[in-house]
Parts: sequence; structure tokens; C-alpha cells
Amino acid sequence: MKPNKVIIELSDELKEEMKRLKEEIANLRDQIEDTTERKRRRERGIYIDVGDRINDYVTDVMEGVAEGIHGELEKSIFIGPHGAKMRVFTHKEPSSKEVEKEINFAKVSKVMSALGHEHRLRILHELMRRGRYMNELQEKLTEITSSTLSSHLNVLEEVGLVVQEKVRGRYLITIPGRSAYKMAKRVTQFLERRNQK
Amino acid sequence: MTWQEFQLGTTVSKVTKKIALWKTDKGILEILENTLALPINVKDQLVGYVLCGEGRLLLDTIVETGEGAIGESVDRELNKSFLMLGTQEALQENLNSAKKEDFAKYGFSDQQEFKADAEDLLAQFSARAQRKKFHCDETFSKGPGFIFAFPNGEDSLDILIAKGAKLIFKTSDTVFVSNDDKVVLKGPQGVIVSNNGKSVVIRNRCLHIHR
Repeated sequence: MKPNKVIIELSDELKEEMKRLKEEIANLRDQIEDTTERKRRRERGIYIDVGDRINDYVTDVMEGVAEGIHGELEKSIFIGPHGAKMRVFTHKEPSSKEVEKEINFAKVSKVMSALGHEHRLRILHELMRRGRYMNELQEKLTEITSSTLSSHLNVLEEVGLVVQEKVRGRYLITIPGRSAYKMAKRVTQFLERRNQK
Repeated sequence: MTWQEFQLGTTVSKVTKKIALWKTDKGILEILENTLALPINVKDQLVGYVLCGEGRLLLDTIVETGEGAIGESVDRELNKSFLMLGTQEALQENLNSAKKEDFAKYGFSDQQEFKADAEDLLAQFSARAQRKKFHCDETFSKGPGFIFAFPNGEDSLDILIAKGAKLIFKTSDTVFVSNDDKVVLKGPQGVIVSNNGKSVVIRNRCLHIHR
């Protein structure tokens, strides 16, 4: 190999090397700038690392939110009926244990059966506003005879949807009674809307 | 006046007819004919009775809240000795001397056995009253108020205090306080404070406010 040719080849190699080094320096400079910017944002409290770990980050955020919601639900304050307008419903996937665990069909059937009568639903409707004496119910539900009304109230009381004051004789709707009435109403409204579509 | 000054009388009587010892729109306490009655005196003044016989206590310990009624009525058959502090004219006017067969009806062999049972009950009540620092007032027996103490089979007493519309009922797991439309109920169902339709309910680790 001639000396000139060697020099030329070396020069080309040096040029390539110089070019590669320049690119590397540029990359390093970018990285430094990037790191400096992140540091600056972190110091200002607005740092969000959305690099390769975006999935981890989202998962972390969601877990944080979930923990927050759980925490809040544990100390929930419900204001009603004329207070808070917003309601929070949480939907949790039932665990395999919950799915496997059967409900007490006999008991559920008894409660649903108590609920499944137009007259009894009307009685619950009347009791939703306030407790009522037998004669007040009779005045409101004129189409039901007093003996039938009494029998319906016994059915509702037996399953715990209604409670009677032993001294005053007033009938009151219980918490389960109120929930059952609302549930029946919501299910019916949902089905009606679906059928309309 | 101290609780130690409460003494049982000597003569046991029996009730001659059904009597409502206490009756308001929230509760009734009735005793039937032949109920045994032993007076409780303070300095020879009648302040109450230990009673034993058939009877019934009804009490509406239910609170109506915006999310539904909480609690249930107390419906209790009375068939053991219980204590009443307070005077009741109808009771005083309808007493007759008790005979041996009247004691047998309630499981006592004689008058002494009933008296011993009554002594135990009064001692248990006095001890509790002192421990809880119940105020013992000279004027109590003259007022319209009553204190009833019922053994509850758990070595303690269920206490009912009533004066006009004011009412306190305390059992081992429930406290019910009522004054007209103001009600406080603390029991297994939670804590409920209600005032004329407005209520605060602490239940299932939640606070529910109904305005």
C-alpha cells in the first residue's frame, strides 16, 4: 500500500469517526437537556414521566385513584333526600367465591313474593312518605278492604319490609322495605325504557 | 336521701285487678290481677314497689328516618320480680293481702322467699344506682316520674326511666332516649339521632344525614 493511499483511508476513517462522535455528542446533549428539563419540571412539581413506563404510570395512577375512592367510601357521607345531588355507585367484579356462593333462594323468593303484589306495592308507596295508621292507609287505598289490607300488612311485616309500632299501631316502612320498593321501581323503569327502544 | 335508705316494707300484698302502671304514646306497662307487691320505703314514706306477677311491657323503640324505620318495638311478657320507683294511685287503691297460694303461683314457697328475691333485686338496683351515680332526689317519689328495673337474665338490669313525654330505656345492647319528637337510639343497628323528621344515622361505618 502506498503511503498516500494509507493517509487517505485513515482520513476517511477519521472523518467517519468524527461524524459518529459528533452524533453521539449531539445525543448526549439532547439527553442532558432532557434530563435538565425533567429536573426543572420535577422541581416545579409538574414532572410526568411518560416514557417507556407509561403503562406502569397509568397503573400506578389508577391504583392511587382506587385507593382514594375506597378510602373515601369508607368514610362516605350521604346527604339526602334534599341534600347531595350526586351519587356514587361502585361496580366491583364479583370474586369467584361470591359467584359460587348461592343466595338463599327460599328467603329471596319469600321477599320477592311479598313485593310481587300490586296492593302491597301501593301500601309501600304510601308508607314511603311517612308512617301511617291503619285508618289512614284505608283512606288512601279505598279499593282494598280492611281485612285484605291487614293481611297485606302482615305479609310485609313478616318479611321485614314494614314494621308496626306496638303501642301506637302506626305502620312504618323499614330500610329494606324502602330499598326493595326503589329496586322494584328502578328495574321496572329500566325494562320499560329498553322495551321502548 | 341516699340509695341505702331504701328499705322494703314488711307486708306483701296482691293486686286485685289489671293495672296500667305507666302509659304514654310510646309505651305501656301493665300488670295483671294477683301480681305480688312489696312496698319500698324511705323513712317510712312509700316510694315504690317490688312487683312479681304476670304483666306486659310494650315500648316503641323505633326511629323513623329518611332511609326507613330503624329499631323495633319491645314486647316483653313480665313474669319475674321487677322494681318500680314512683307512686301509682291505682296500684295503692287496688291491693289486698296476699295468701300462701298467691306466692306458689310465681314459684315462691312462702312470703319469705319472695321477700328474699325482692331484697336481692333492691340490692342489685341500689348497687347499680350508686355505681352509675344516679342522683337520688327527695322530690322524686312525689313527681310524675317512674323508674323501672327489670332483671334481664344476664346478671344486670334493664332500666326504664319515664317522666311525662321523656323516656330512657337501657338494656345490655340498646339505649333509647326520647322526648317528644327528639329521639336517640343506640343499638346493634347503629346510632340514630332524630329531631322532628331530621335525622343523623351512623350505620355500617357511614354517616347518613336526612334534612
